[in-house]
Amino acid sequence: MDANQEPTVNRRPSLLYGALSLVLPGLGQAIAGQFRRGSGIFLTFIVLAGLSIWTVAQRARFPDLTLSAQIFWIVFLECAALLLFLICIRYLLNRFLIKDVSGQVFTQWGLIIFYAVAIFLIADSLLSNAGTSEELQQVYESTTVFSAAIFAVFWFWQIGDAARIGARQEIPSMGPAIASACLLIFVLGWNITQIDLPKAIEEYRDTQVILRQLIWPWEAAFEFEVVSVEATARVQAPCPEGEIGPPENEPIAGESWIIVTPTCGELSVLSLSGEFTPGTELTITGGNFTPGSEVEIFWKNPIGNPFRPRGVGETIIPIDENGEFVTNLNIPQALIPDTAVGAQIHTVVIREESTVVFTWRLSREMKLALVGMLETIMLGLMATFFGIIFAVPLSFLAARNLMSNIVSTISAITGGLLLAVAGLILAGLITGQISSLLGGLSENPILIALIGLVLVLGLGYLGWRLGSWGLATLGERAPAILSRILTAFLFALIGAAFGYALGLFFSRGIRAIILPDEVAALTEDRYAIFGAGVLGVISFIYAYRINFDGEIRIGMIIYAIVRTIMNIVRAIEPLIWALVGIIWVGPGPFAGTIALTLHTIAALGKLYSESIESIDPGPLEAIQATGGNRLQTIIYAVIPQVLPPFISFTIYRWDINVRLSTVIGLVGGGGIGFILIQWIRQFEYEAAGLAVWLIAITVSVLDYVSSEIRERFV
Amino acid sequence: MLQIENLTKIYDDGTQALTDVSFTVEEGEFLVVIGLSGSGKSTLLRCINRLVEPTEGRITWNGRDITAADQSELREIRREIGMIFQHFNLVKRSTVMTNVLSGRLGYTPPAWSLINRFRKEDRVRAMQALERVGIPDKAGNRADELSGGQQQRVGIARALMQEPKMILADEPVASLDPVLAHSILGNLERINQEDNMTVICSLHFLDLVQRYASRVIGLRDGVIVFEGDSQDIRQLSDERFKEIYGEEAERLGG
Repeated sequence: MDANQEPTVNRRPSLLYGALSLVLPGLGQAIAGQFRRGSGIFLTFIVLAGLSIWTVAQRARFPDLTLSAQIFWIVFLECAALLLFLICIRYLLNRFLIKDVSGQVFTQWGLIIFYAVAIFLIADSLLSNAGTSEELQQVYESTTVFSAAIFAVFWFWQIGDAARIGARQEIPSMGPAIASACLLIFVLGWNITQIDLPKAIEEYRDTQVILRQLIWPWEAAFEFEVVSVEATARVQAPCPEGEIGPPENEPIAGESWIIVTPTCGELSVLSLSGEFTPGTELTITGGNFTPGSEVEIFWKNPIGNPFRPRGVGETIIPIDENGEFVTNLNIPQALIPDTAVGAQIHTVVIREESTVVFTWRLSREMKLALVGMLETIMLGLMATFFGIIFAVPLSFLAARNLMSNIVSTISAITGGLLLAVAGLILAGLITGQISSLLGGLSENPILIALIGLVLVLGLGYLGWRLGSWGLATLGERAPAILSRILTAFLFALIGAAFGYALGLFFSRGIRAIILPDEVAALTEDRYAIFGAGVLGVISFIYAYRINFDGEIRIGMIIYAIVRTIMNIVRAIEPLIWALVGIIWVGPGPFAGTIALTLHTIAALGKLYSESIESIDPGPLEAIQATGGNRLQTIIYAVIPQVLPPFISFTIYRWDINVRLSTVIGLVGGGGIGFILIQWIRQFEYEAAGLAVWLIAITVSVLDYVSSEIRERFV
Repeated sequence: MLQIENLTKIYDDGTQALTDVSFTVEEGEFLVVIGLSGSGKSTLLRCINRLVEPTEGRITWNGRDITAADQSELREIRREIGMIFQHFNLVKRSTVMTNVLSGRLGYTPPAWSLINRFRKEDRVRAMQALERVGIPDKAGNRADELSGGQQQRVGIARALMQEPKMILADEPVASLDPVLAHSILGNLERINQEDNMTVICSLHFLDLVQRYASRVIGLRDGVIVFEGDSQDIRQLSDERFKEIYGEEAERLGG
């Protein structure tokens, strides 16, 4: 657009560069020496064009990239022609008519606005007369026109850019390019997210009912009692000859009363052909009701179920100023079970619903919501608690400053690893034996798990120490070559085991994606053995030749492993963990606790380890200098320093966990979210509003409390 | 007797901090190491108790080879060598008492530390150490409530708790004003003379060196460029002085 803004000194090369960019966007810039700029323009051009065409194709009912591309380029050329026309007009105006700068700026903006309006008009007319083809109608959306129009601006800008760079070896501003790219992405984004403002405005009223209930649901929080006055009279039906039915009521002083005459009659009958025969007409007289109010007549069948009689007379009766009324009613049709033979006693009920009384009793919904809220808070608490227990030790393993100086020799690691594995297997066997003695895992799961844990940790550790010590001692006593070969051999074993696992993983995990399962399974042995062989040989050579006596920074290896695992666990959303938890232990708060605990361990582990990494190293050095061992250094130099940030992070995490647990409830993790999603699905928006309010109150109270506590510790 | 033979330290990043340093320290000496910052004083002191692992060379102390010691032996050697730091290296949030007691960790079973337990006589000894450095009334205060001079006294008390046979002091007065410097070095001198304890101390100021040292070693770029007693330091010519401190150095003190 700005190609000819200023007269150029050196015309010929500038036009050449412009022409190059006209053919291929960015080419002129690249040849003029601005290679990065040129390639950037080219890439932007490709990406934006692709995105535009793709979007247009997506929104069509029959996605066809070729068709969309054709249409896009046609519209683009139209826009470009319009733009070129405007640029020429501007050039001529500036050259011959308008000489003062403010006038030129005015024309420029005028033309920009003209361009925008023209595009809007074109888009509108295209939309209304998009030809006869249904496909064309779908593709010829206003988005096509808008994006093609912006695209034309970008195109002309980069031509002018190339020309100017070629002419003066000076870099013009990227402003118009960035602006048009942003605008284009905005237009595409508007289309892709299917934003429809007119619809939002037209259909806003539909939300009013829901919104009103959600915003002020407090009436549902308490119980309302309906105080009603009832008077009853008994009527017999059917009425065989000679029977007179139950005795008539007498007026009672001080109470509402009704008298029904006669007290014996026939029911209305609706025959199969739809013919209605009304029953015996009753006269109902009543007194001692509230003057000026209305009463309602209900009919109670012999089983005791009341219903509104229909088609047999008025059922809403006004009361006169004396508190009395008289009305007529035919005995309605009442379904009597086939087994009921003979006369039955029905009841006429007159009910005066007078007042609705507010009580301080909580409604059922409110109680449910409160229980759910409590469950949610506790869920967050428990997840935080378990998270701390696991995150604290892990965080020490994931702190670079503590781990970086832990070194070990190959022989110590080899012996340690082998005997540690042996210890683990032994622990497994012993646990199995104890388990069968105690009656199996299902009998005493916790006891056996505890024994297993202690055995695994203890024997694993013992094996590690014994193995490291054993191989190191051997290295001192035995002939050097012997211990060297032995160590290298054992190290190669470990390497081979690792390689075997990697091979299996490659075969099952990666190849299985491409190949059918059976084919992958056929060859998985070969991959595993290949992996084992390669890593075994590499480990042997490494241990034997390269780094036999040297130290391995085992601490950094552990650090890297723990960090990686924590990063992966943290990267997976708690919602996904909740799904795992639900499959594991079924829906409910326990599943939510598992999900949050896993995520909390990783998140807190990272925060903790980072605060350990930022401590003052001086006290550590001082404690080491006094002869304290690693444990003592941690207790006396690290913990006092990291306690305040640990407490602060923990409370912060608790806060987060309570918020998250409401969301986790939505997918079945228990707590208030669980109740909330059910109410939403049952369209009980008032109850849902209660839950939302409780969540909002709890979270803000918690937010305040946690920030107050944290302020005190930092 | 501490013997250092051909000590060389090259850090992982390739910095050559010490080159072939050899000297001997007799028991009861007050040895001062002088040199510009970056000359290798701190590295030298930290190599003696292996807070920094020497790259090459041998350090023997009373017949024990410190450089060859394994972890548990090293801890036993370390608890007999007290150390005082330029920035005191106290745990600021812990009480003075806990900081002093932590000097006793080398003698305390590690499992006791899990419940913060010390022997009763260690607590008595800690009070005595605080009395000896003159701040018994600060025992219950948090370490960061104390002034710089007081914090360094806590550092000395912590070192005394080790019942050391040698004290390494890494620029113990560099963060303090001159009056406090004299008071802290006076403390060290008293310990040196009363207990006949070996003190190896790195210092910046020449007048402090002249006042307290019984022997002096000058380091420049990790090489020993000067060795003598305090008399020699007094008679140091400007040329020798510049050899230690570099061309741009000016003589400040006495």
